[in-house]
Amino acid sequence: MLGYYLQLGFRNLRRSPVLTALIILTLAVGVAASMSTLTVLYMMSGDPIPQKSARLLTLKLDNYPLDFNDTEEKLPSILTWTDVRNLREDGKGLRRTGLYGISGIVYPNKEGVKNFFADGVAVDADFFAMMDAPFVAGGAWTAAEDRSEARVAVIAKPLAEKLFGKESAIGRNLRMDSEEFRVVGVLDEWKPTPKFYRMDSGSSAGSDADDIFIPLSAALAAHRDVSGNTSCFSNADPGFEGLMRSECIWLRYWVELGSASERAEYRDYLSAYVQRQKQLGRLPRPDKSGLYNVREWLQEIEVVDDDTRLQTWLAFGFLSVCLVNTIGLLLAKFTARTAEIGVRRALGATRAQIFLQYLSEAAALGLVGSIIGVAGAFGMLHLLAKQSPDLEQYARMDPTMLATTVVLSVLAAVIAGLLPTLRATQVVPALQLKSQ
Amino acid sequence: MLQMDGVQKIYRTDLVQTYALRSLSLRVAEGEFVAVTGPSGSGKTTFLNIAGLLETFEAGSYRLDGEDVSKLSDHARSRLRNVKIGFIFQSFNLIPDLNVYDNVDVPLRYRGMAGSERKRRITEALERVGLASRHQHLPSQLSGGQQQRVAIARALAGSPRILLADEPTGNLDSLMAREVMNMLEEINTQGTTIVMVTHDPELARRVHRNIHVMDGQVSDLDQRLAA
Amino acid sequence: MEIRPILSALRHNMTGALLIATQVALTLAIISNSASVIRDRLAVAQRDSGIDAESRIITQRPILFSQIDLANLIQTDLDALRAIPGVESVTITNQVPMGRSGWSSTFATERVPTAPSQSAGLYFDGGRLLETFGLKIVEGRGFRDDEIVNIDPKVQNPPPNGVLLTRRLAEALFPGQSQFVGRIFYQGNSPDAEEMRIVGVIERFTTPWAQTGPDNEYAVVFPARYLNPFNHYVVRAAPGAEAEVRKAMEAALEKNEPGRVSVGQYSVQEMRDRRYRGERALAWLLVSVTVFLLGVTASGIVGMASLWVNLRRKQIGVRRALGATRGDIVRYFLTENLLITSAGIAIGVLAAWGLNGVLMSELSVPRLPLDYLLVGVLLMLLLGVIAVLGPALRAAQLSPALATRSV
Ligand SMILES: Nc1ncnc2c1ncn2[C@@H]1O[C@H](COP(=O)(O)OP(=O)(O)OP(=O)(O)O)[C@@H](O)[C@H]1O
Ligand SMILES: [Mg+2]
Repeated sequence: MLGYYLQLGFRNLRRSPVLTALIILTLAVGVAASMSTLTVLYMMSGDPIPQKSARLLTLKLDNYPLDFNDTEEKLPSILTWTDVRNLREDGKGLRRTGLYGISGIVYPNKEGVKNFFADGVAVDADFFAMMDAPFVAGGAWTAAEDRSEARVAVIAKPLAEKLFGKESAIGRNLRMDSEEFRVVGVLDEWKPTPKFYRMDSGSSAGSDADDIFIPLSAALAAHRDVSGNTSCFSNADPGFEGLMRSECIWLRYWVELGSASERAEYRDYLSAYVQRQKQLGRLPRPDKSGLYNVREWLQEIEVVDDDTRLQTWLAFGFLSVCLVNTIGLLLAKFTARTAEIGVRRALGATRAQIFLQYLSEAAALGLVGSIIGVAGAFGMLHLLAKQSPDLEQYARMDPTMLATTVVLSVLAAVIAGLLPTLRATQVVPALQLKSQ
Repeated sequence: MLQMDGVQKIYRTDLVQTYALRSLSLRVAEGEFVAVTGPSGSGKTTFLNIAGLLETFEAGSYRLDGEDVSKLSDHARSRLRNVKIGFIFQSFNLIPDLNVYDNVDVPLRYRGMAGSERKRRITEALERVGLASRHQHLPSQLSGGQQQRVAIARALAGSPRILLADEPTGNLDSLMAREVMNMLEEINTQGTTIVMVTHDPELARRVHRNIHVMDGQVSDLDQRLAA
Repeated sequence: MEIRPILSALRHNMTGALLIATQVALTLAIISNSASVIRDRLAVAQRDSGIDAESRIITQRPILFSQIDLANLIQTDLDALRAIPGVESVTITNQVPMGRSGWSSTFATERVPTAPSQSAGLYFDGGRLLETFGLKIVEGRGFRDDEIVNIDPKVQNPPPNGVLLTRRLAEALFPGQSQFVGRIFYQGNSPDAEEMRIVGVIERFTTPWAQTGPDNEYAVVFPARYLNPFNHYVVRAAPGAEAEVRKAMEAALEKNEPGRVSVGQYSVQEMRDRRYRGERALAWLLVSVTVFLLGVTASGIVGMASLWVNLRRKQIGVRRALGATRGDIVRYFLTENLLITSAGIAIGVLAAWGLNGVLMSELSVPRLPLDYLLVGVLLMLLLGVIAVLGPALRAAQLSPALATRSV
């Protein structure tokens, strides 16, 4: 029976074509606008590493001078080398890595490829296992290579292809600035969205995948400049050595725990660490250190910015207007058929049957509207991505979102159809429409 | 009062032309009560529509109250309808969303009358048809006869010179029909000209003069009688 | 005209009227807030940077890999750039306005921890910075060529003795003052903070981040070349010579150190476009939302009004028969619509304030100015009238004969 109603519904789409087109258009536009912004919001607040986001932790320490008159509410999201070195050496947790952004000029040893500027990160060997970074060839360097400040590198697949073409990159040399690195691993397409491990609050920097990963120890030994923020609250000695000794902040630190339940223990360790540093005369202010898992971290650095939220709010306001409009237009469409309903009722249709028939018609409209709306949402996402490269990584619809879109829009149409349908069932049976 | 000479009305649809009125000529004198009869489709309603300035015509001349109305603009025709003509319809044609009082008020509003004057006229008209106590009711809450009386009150409130009625009793039982007829006769005796289309020979017999329309023309018999 | 009878007729079409009013209310609330956000963002994107001819100021950032004698290399580069025909002035600096990354530091007027401090962008003038960017000095003077020193990050350097700052920063550091040259302030407020003396005040100079707040004009300029490989060369091209200068600039920098890599070549105008892309994108998104909303709401009104005209064909005929002119019929529908729209607007005004309150507390949205609300109200009234005009005119064309003819 439902099939018959749906069939009737689709057939009735052709009646009063202008009204039908308006309803479908209204629904489609509402769906496209709300779903494209919702997709961006969803991708932004998505979990980039769901399998272990609860036990992958990063932290903030307060190393402002005692008398620092800070106006910021939040602590900065970067750390001193002193703290990162101490935390690494203490060896708590399953795996751990320090991290800072680097960049440099790559000299390809290949005809026709010009020198170019590449972004990368200096990390510890554990980084790849911690982040579940997938390798297509080779693997991470070893802890021993970390200790020996070995000039080794893991590179991303696109860079490997650019430098070495189809040949294997493993064991080949990569020249960056004046240093030669031996390639030990090639990463497959790996684009955690967002790039949480080095993302900063308020900046959209780092939407592109990193190309080069080198050992932190080697980067420090070579005095590689920091690509990213460096903040100092008091004077540092000159040079890179001075920076490393100073209270300037510029690195990040991530630790992976064996299980999320070890978090309390780690928290205690961190408090104890702050106390020990206080005894050494560092971290003079009251302990405000924070420990964050991946999801908490994304919140803390406000990946979802105000403008995105504003867009989402407005898009849903827009959708609600579209829905009210659809209710009105459906009411118009159904009311114009009062006579037909009266006759159907007189011929024996029950209220429930009328209800089903007209709701099916609303659903049919919703289906057509949602298909066009989904196409529209894809178009809008495409536009958004083109419009602003910062948004590109978020402007992608995954299957979950696609299904949500379709279901939501049909649901919206059915809900919008509810009131007009109920009105239609109120029509009294009559073989003819009485005048007035 | 009403003078038509050779009035012709053609309805054109995509396929056919219907000569609703061929060459209709007739006169209705001031104060007369005339019944228009004739077979279905003969053009009675068409005649009434033209007489009431609801429709225009193709050829011939029509003078209402001595004024040639064939060249009048839509606006002027509306004004004339509002002031000089009252209508009573077979299906009453009350506005369903408005109560009795507001229905009678409709033509007076269009005349732009002052509030107090309207109120006086509405109450008077409703009293005349015996429905003063029902002024708060909606049309759907009234019987057919009562609805037609409201329609008569609405027609009377503007004190028209001429009253046009298209089968005013067509939807009523004979008792109600007689009541409505009595009312019309009383209105006529107070000086209002009435032209009434009817199928009811009994009612037709009660009026001053019968006009028989056949095939879009006044039948010869009447022409001769009238002459 | 006849408001009371229209109202009582409306009571019988409550649902439709309510739907239209709701739609008008929501639309008004959304578009008036959108309009105020649009204005806010576009105003931000058009702020004066203090630079007189943004499209003629071209920056390029070659990464210098000769680590041996940077000071010399930079001088060679600058000379080569200055020799390009059509180049009016050349400078080297550590960061560019609206370039979105750069240096900042805090500045205070006292070396006591409780002293209020201001965070400001820190520019290095490698010579002729004011001339090249076309900045105006409102008090004091710019740097002489012999004041520019080389700062080597590998060794401790003496602090600059005279600096420039922007008027906005000067006013923030010395509230209530109007004369700033000769005054002393400090980089930071710790006891060992560097002391600096103001030699000149720049009318306006925006920071690399061009923040939304007033601090986008807080900048300090040091007379120095910072010897690291990541500086920006900036040239000022003569009017009309931009294209040739850009090409020649690329070539000259390439020639001085073959194989060099540049991180892009941009005019300040292009920097501005990139910096404010987000603001502009949001503004255009809101413009399209507004246009669509108006369209959707208009279509809703047209649909509902057409329905009512259809449902009332007979009634319209009767009214016409009773003496209503075409104008009366049009006026009836206009009035009816105006009543519904006004009800919607009344709710919409409240909703707009409410929405604005929520948006202000939750997101960075400005207070809704009264005139925007007023324009929104007028717009909705106009929209209602225009939307209903079509169906109303069609209703007026209905024949009075419908009174006797239609079933
Ligand atoms: N709008 C119209 N378009 C085309 N033809 C029409 C139209 N209105 C009336 N006619 C035709 O004009 C002729 C006269 O119609 P009219 O309504 O005047 O008849 P009538 O005498 O009132 O009939 P009845 O007694 O059945 O009411 C009929 O043949 C009718 O079909
Ligand atoms: Mg008839």
